[in-house]
Amino acid sequence: MTARDVLAARQLALVRALLAGGPVPDGFDANRVGVEAAALRSKRRSIASHLRPDLADLLEDRFGPLFDTWARDHPKPVELSFRADLDRFETWLYDEGHLERPRRRWFRR
Amino acid sequence: MTGAPRLGVGIGWRPEIDLTVEALPGVDFVEVLAENIHAGPLPESLTVLRARGVPVVAHAVSLSLGGAEPVDAARVQHLAAVAAAVGAPLVSEHVAFTRAGGLDSGHLLPVPRTRDALNVLVDNVRRAQADLPVPLALENIAAVFDWPDNELTEGQFLAELVDRTGCLLLVDVANLYANAVNIGTAPAVFLDELPLERLAYVHVAGGVTHDGVYHDTHAHAVPSEVLAVLAELCARVDPPGVLLERDDDYPADADLAAELAAIRAVAVRGR
Repeated sequence: MTARDVLAARQLALVRALLAGGPVPDGFDANRVGVEAAALRSKRRSIASHLRPDLADLLEDRFGPLFDTWARDHPKPVELSFRADLDRFETWLYDEGHLERPRRRWFRR
Repeated sequence: MTGAPRLGVGIGWRPEIDLTVEALPGVDFVEVLAENIHAGPLPESLTVLRARGVPVVAHAVSLSLGGAEPVDAARVQHLAAVAAAVGAPLVSEHVAFTRAGGLDSGHLLPVPRTRDALNVLVDNVRRAQADLPVPLALENIAAVFDWPDNELTEGQFLAELVDRTGCLLLVDVANLYANAVNIGTAPAVFLDELPLERLAYVHVAGGVTHDGVYHDTHAHAVPSEVLAVLAELCARVDPPGVLLERDDDYPADADLAAELAAIRAVAVRGR
């Protein structure tokens, strides 16, 4: 294992703890990692509501809890733009029955 | 003087406050977020500022220079293209990583301050520098937590980074205050350990304290404690530039003008 490999494994474990509910790596202050995880979720949720006000309007009070539930299982892949990432959220909302799939998609965008 | 170009007092240019930035008194320079700018035709507001002779620094947030993965050449090339488009005298990034294993945290995360992590960082920085047309300044970040096995202090880590890469320094006094509150960094020790003759400019921003943790939000007023850290820095060196960052919850123009005036007053007093 090179120094890069070791660092990669450690950084990935930390990122999993922060983004995807993974275990907090040994030696870290679990409370503070939790504080940071909440801050990152809040930042991502804020970007989501800015980019997709339509979803925020349709879901009203359910937007925050549903987004957080989805986000924990779907950390953002590097290769996806924020918009493409939110298209995944939209699809999930339909698939899980949280929103009714619009019948006429052609008028959107 | 630190050898870096004289910039003065500035503010982060954002599309939401473009007309404000144009109209504010005492804006000697601005900074743009490279990821939010197309290297093609510039926003008109930036063209106006450039025509006035206002220097524009390009600031990046997504190079993940502290990451274990090799530097993404396309991101460095974009930063280089933006720097060329705005005629930037220098560019800046953070000592941080933002992604791992294909997952994007969307945020600047601290790196372990170990010899091994420093070697990786130095290698990444050198690769980025090779593709940049102007000097690169590197910035200390705000952390909420720290790695458990640090071998170096924040100051020592940055000092060695500067020594080995020849990079300039961007000292964020709000981040330094955050780390004083959150992870016990001593601002005076940090400043004493840095080669301040390599200082390019300084960031100032607002934040808020929740449950004993200081959050560097860039969406609140600049607390007096952050200006006190700026004063500590200015007692040691005359910074070539000091820039106010505001990214959300934009206040009235008069409030931003007052914050710029307060920053200028601290910088002048230290001279």
